[in-house]
Amino acid sequence: MVTVKICVGTYCYLMGGGQLAQWRNYIPQHLHEKVTFVSASCLGCNEQNAKPPYAKVGDVIIEKATPEKILEEIEKQLSI
Amino acid sequence: MINNIFVEAGSFQVHKNGNFACGDTILLHKIDNQERCIAVLSDGLGSGIKANVLSTMTASMAMNFSIKREPIMRTARTIMDTLPIDSKRNISYATFTIIDIDQNGNTMIAEFDTPPLLLVRDGKVTHLNPETFKINTTNETDNYERILKLSDIALKKGDRLIVYSDGVSQSGMGKDNMPFGWEDGVETFIENLVKQDKNISARGLSRRIVRRAEMNDDFKTKDDISCICLYVREPRKLLICTGPPFNEEKDKYLADVISSYNGKKIVCGGTTSQIIARELGKDLEVEMDLDKFASGLPPESKMDGVDLVTEGIITLGALSRLLEEDRFNELPQEDSAWNILKYIMDADIIDFLVGTKINVAHQDPSLPIELEIRRNVIKRIKGLIENKLLKTVNLEFI
Repeated sequence: MVTVKICVGTYCYLMGGGQLAQWRNYIPQHLHEKVTFVSASCLGCNEQNAKPPYAKVGDVIIEKATPEKILEEIEKQLSI
Repeated sequence: MINNIFVEAGSFQVHKNGNFACGDTILLHKIDNQERCIAVLSDGLGSGIKANVLSTMTASMAMNFSIKREPIMRTARTIMDTLPIDSKRNISYATFTIIDIDQNGNTMIAEFDTPPLLLVRDGKVTHLNPETFKINTTNETDNYERILKLSDIALKKGDRLIVYSDGVSQSGMGKDNMPFGWEDGVETFIENLVKQDKNISARGLSRRIVRRAEMNDDFKTKDDISCICLYVREPRKLLICTGPPFNEEKDKYLADVISSYNGKKIVCGGTTSQIIARELGKDLEVEMDLDKFASGLPPESKMDGVDLVTEGIITLGALSRLLEEDRFNELPQEDSAWNILKYIMDADIIDFLVGTKINVAHQDPSLPIELEIRRNVIKRIKGLIENKLLKTVNLEFI
């Protein structure tokens, strides 16, 4: 099992987090039972050089998150 | 100040079937922060545009003359003299009711040809005993006698005044169970409603009356149907916190205000809610319901002791648009801006506690939309709530 957190704070939401949160219902079939999605209001990007949207797979933070990057990280952690 | 009463003003209206303009006009106005509350209902002769023009003229004259404390007989005469004469019926005519409540509950009521105003006190519907006066118009050629009914009453807490157009009392006319229309049935209906829910809001009550009248007409309304309800009661309070304090030392103050507030509480803003959760030692849980995303607004969160937690500036922008576009009479939708609006509609006094810290990330030029400065959005929302929903709004910046 792996938990994916997607930031839906204002900044991340506008920069693609909103779409990411919807995408979660369209992940590949074989992952359905293995991944839990949670949204978060901020994963801690308040630095000067932020790269939104942010997502967190397990303990790994992903900058400029895309479905591809998240999928890759999920598969790596589940060692599929 | 101690004797000041609070008046909730609510109204609802549906048009005659097939007409896009309403022949009834409702105007509600509060002066100088609750010092006086004035309500006007006018029903123009006929229906459609012609009636709309007549009733709009009548209602705005009645309202503006009342604000200026013009003598009522002169107001009535001026209205009669000003209205254009109907080419078919050869009279100038629109009915009106003026209700003027001062801060001690002393109320002046002027009625001209509207169905009698109802007072709901201790769950019972009663009529007032108005004095009648003849209005002498200057340019009338017909023999129609114009009688103005004036009454005076001192309202106390728990009282409701209800006034409606003849669309309500004549609804369902011609049906077997109400050959002459709804008539006294309205009074029983109101008594039952108040018995079922003795705190029913003015907005809710006026809506129920109009909807029921619409039903009596089998949803093909034969006339414009309007109802105003004025309810004297304890004000309901709502606190909306948004934005992190400019100075971090104020974080504690923000949390204290939230936990000690006596009323409903809303927090708008991701960072703000995190600050409050941290200061109060509470969990913050973000909801992940796909249906709520469909509206295009970020999801809500949940925090113990707070009624609603939403995202900040996008949601507030959406709220401001809902108010600007007068969407508050529509069926509410299930998104966070609507949810805030529902709380606002149910409150009488709204306190905004606004943190003015600027979120540097929001100034990113690559953002797809322009994010406004929180302070400006809140100021606009304040104006809209005061003018369109007649509620008291207090602002505090931290």
